[in-house]
Amino acid sequence: MSKVRMSWGLLLCLTLASGCVQTKYGWYDYDQKLYRHYRDPGQQEVFLEQLKEIVERGTSSNRIPPGLFAEYGYVLYETGKFNEATRYFDLEGKKWPESRVLMAKMVKNAQLRAGKAEGRVQ
Amino acid sequence: MKRLFLFAILALLPACAHQPKDLSKFEAAKPASILIVPVVNQSVEVTAPDYFLSTVPVPLGERGYYVFPVNLVKRVLEDEGLSDANLVHNAAPQKVCGLFGSDAILYVTIKEWSAKYLLLSTVVDVRLAYAIKDCKTGETLWDHEQAMTYSPQNNSTGNPLGDLIVMAVNAAVTKAAPNYVPLARQANNIAFNGRPGERGIPFGPYASQEQMAEGARTGIRAPKN
Repeated sequence: MSKVRMSWGLLLCLTLASGCVQTKYGWYDYDQKLYRHYRDPGQQEVFLEQLKEIVERGTSSNRIPPGLFAEYGYVLYETGKFNEATRYFDLEGKKWPESRVLMAKMVKNAQLRAGKAEGRVQ
Repeated sequence: MKRLFLFAILALLPACAHQPKDLSKFEAAKPASILIVPVVNQSVEVTAPDYFLSTVPVPLGERGYYVFPVNLVKRVLEDEGLSDANLVHNAAPQKVCGLFGSDAILYVTIKEWSAKYLLLSTVVDVRLAYAIKDCKTGETLWDHEQAMTYSPQNNSTGNPLGDLIVMAVNAAVTKAAPNYVPLARQANNIAFNGRPGERGIPFGPYASQEQMAEGARTGIRAPKN
């Protein structure tokens, strides 16, 4: 019994200790999620959900990594959610001035596609 | 005669010692953003380039650079008719960078990505050639080649039969899914962050004071997730 308690204590210590070594940004296993996306490319919805989670957690902790708003925006774009995509391309451009040239192009594209999609509906 | 021989050896020594990399061009160019383009594959593993690509943004971002979203970049290049990484690598840096508005561009070539299946364990090798070029001039700011080898640890159980079972399990696991990715991460870490005696790449504009102080103190910084 005491052995069990001790190992739990050890686990807690290790968890706390590893918490101290923090990355600059909140990546939340972005690399592993990207890897899995390339391994099972059919799972687009799963990848979308995972990117959404990274973006949400990164936004609330104010540690959003470079590129992640846009990465999420692009998968939204690919799944036909053009207006939502525009929002995240905008967020990327506001957060990182280095991305503005690209994000302006992405926003233009997304809005063009959104317009076309609406045109079809009418 | 003996003295002459000794002198000859001493004269040869500096050539053997590790040459520190000249980063003056990199430091003068001061790129703030790096475009990671798809990877050229010289190995026989067709999945290697995409798997490797997934390991690059984190260490470069942590080093203080704006890193363009790799998956978006890959797809946009495909749309532009540049789905073949060789085409991207052979195009003028200025042209590729122009599509994205980046300061610098990172090219990686996978030289080796292989697993040797021994009787009871598997040895995995990766070898990567990296180059960062200036988007304005096309000049090479930094290049590096990094090789890593992995062989599973034999966790000794203290009895020979137990050891055999552990080794058999190790082999099965690596045969099903050879462990390239952790090895690629390690290679990136050494390439970008350096290690004692090697500098890695300079810190980017988003690197914190503590990061730079730590880097200066140890010559290495290993980011953990």
